[in-house]
Order: sequence, then structure tokens, then C-alpha cells
Amino acid sequence: MTALRTLALVVVAALLSAQQLKFNLDYLAAKASDSVDLSLNGATLQFAAHFLSSKDADESKVKKMIASLDGIYIRTFEFKDAGAWSPADLEGVRQQLRGAEWSRIVGVKSGQEGENAEIYVRSENKKINGVAILVSGPKELTIVNIVGPVDLDSLASLGGHLGIPKVEIGKHK
Amino acid sequence: MDWLEQELKNTLARKDPPPDFADRVLRGVGRSAPSPVWRHSRWLAAAAAVVIITGGAAAYRQHQGLVAKEQVMLAFRIAAVKVNHIQTHIQEAVR
Repeated sequence: MTALRTLALVVVAALLSAQQLKFNLDYLAAKASDSVDLSLNGATLQFAAHFLSSKDADESKVKKMIASLDGIYIRTFEFKDAGAWSPADLEGVRQQLRGAEWSRIVGVKSGQEGENAEIYVRSENKKINGVAILVSGPKELTIVNIVGPVDLDSLASLGGHLGIPKVEIGKHK
Repeated sequence: MDWLEQELKNTLARKDPPPDFADRVLRGVGRSAPSPVWRHSRWLAAAAAVVIITGGAAAYRQHQGLVAKEQVMLAFRIAAVKVNHIQTHIQEAVR
């Protein structure tokens, strides 16, 4: 029974590890003027959920969203000067996103600002169980990896909440 | 009665204690036994230690929880900002 439970845990850990992108961009932090590194695994999310109020509209929404998540991993860098990072820095992440389970649902390229933004989703049995957001500009680099079933509409609906201005547009999937 | 018998009789004869004997015994007992106040203060110190440790652990857990909550809120803020940003670009492209 214990062996079976251990095996199940190993399988679950392996599956979660497959969903989670691996990115080690610590070396860019030294060049960045501002950087954020968030690694929140499932246990941390569930622990944080106890401190999110159900009465507060924003917190209640986030609380519902994290209930089924297995992790959120974010790296953002802002640079004073352009060219502080190179596309090769993102290659390791892109390589992982080329896997069959990942598909790019949105790709935006802004010629004027030199900005690229992409959203990838990881599907299994026709259900989304992971999202990756890559946003890169001459002076900015952001990687967001949400592990677990994500409702993109709920994520987008946070516009107008958390101090984010609401953008009214048609749904694009 | 020979001299030995007389010696024993004298030695083992009942002797009354001096008049201040009872007072001296009571004073000695009072010095060696801990006072009820001291006994209570030891329990109070132990109880205070338990309260401080338990309270400290609860406060630390509360602090950790609030830090985790702030991190989660920041993570969603960043993710939502990026999704909104992408939506804005799409909206501009559609126009």
C-alpha cells in the first residue's frame, strides 16, 4: 500500500515536473534594473489561499483560481538599456514549448516597439492544464508559467481588478 | 547496682528539650521548604514560556501566510497585466 502510494506520488511529481517549464535566467538579474522572481508551488498556493479573503472581490477571485493550480512561476526583467538580453536567452524555454503538448494560441509582434508577446497552452485530454506567457521587448523580458488547469477567461477577467485597467475586446482564443 | 548500671541509667534517662527547641525546629522548616509564592511563580514562568512559544509560532505562521498571499497577488497581477497587454495589441490589430 505504501509502495503504491509512493509510486503514485512519483508519477504525480513527474507529471507536474513535465508541466512546469524550467528556466534558469538568474544571470540576467545582474544586468536588470528591476527583476521579479516568483516560484510558488502547489503547497505555497494552498497555504496562501487560507489568507485570501472570500469577502474581498479581488482576493476571492484569485482564491478560486488557485484552488486547482499546482504552481505559478514568473521571471520578469526590466533593463535600462536595449540589448541587455538576447533571443538565445529564451531559446531554452522555447525548446520546451515546442513539445507536442504545447500549442501557441496567440502571437503578437509589434514592429514599432520591437515587442513580442505569445501565449502557449498545454493541453491534455482536451483540457488546458498549463499556460506559458512570453513577453519580450528591447528592455523587457517576462516569462509566466502557470501549472494546472487554467481558465484564461478568468485570468483575462482580472482586468478591472487588482489595479489593472479593464480592456474591452472580443474573445480571441 | 554496680557502677555500669548506674552509668547506663543516667545516660538513657529521659531529658526534656530546652524551652526554645520547638521554635528552632519550626524556623528551620520555614527556611528549607519553598514558599507557595515561589512554587506558583515556577508554574507561571513555564506557562509564560508556553504562551510565548505558541504565540511566536502563530505570529510567524501568520507572517509567512501574508507573504505568500502577497506573492500570489503579485503573480496574478503580472500575469493579468501581460494577458491584458496582449489583448490590447490584438484589439489594435483588429481595428
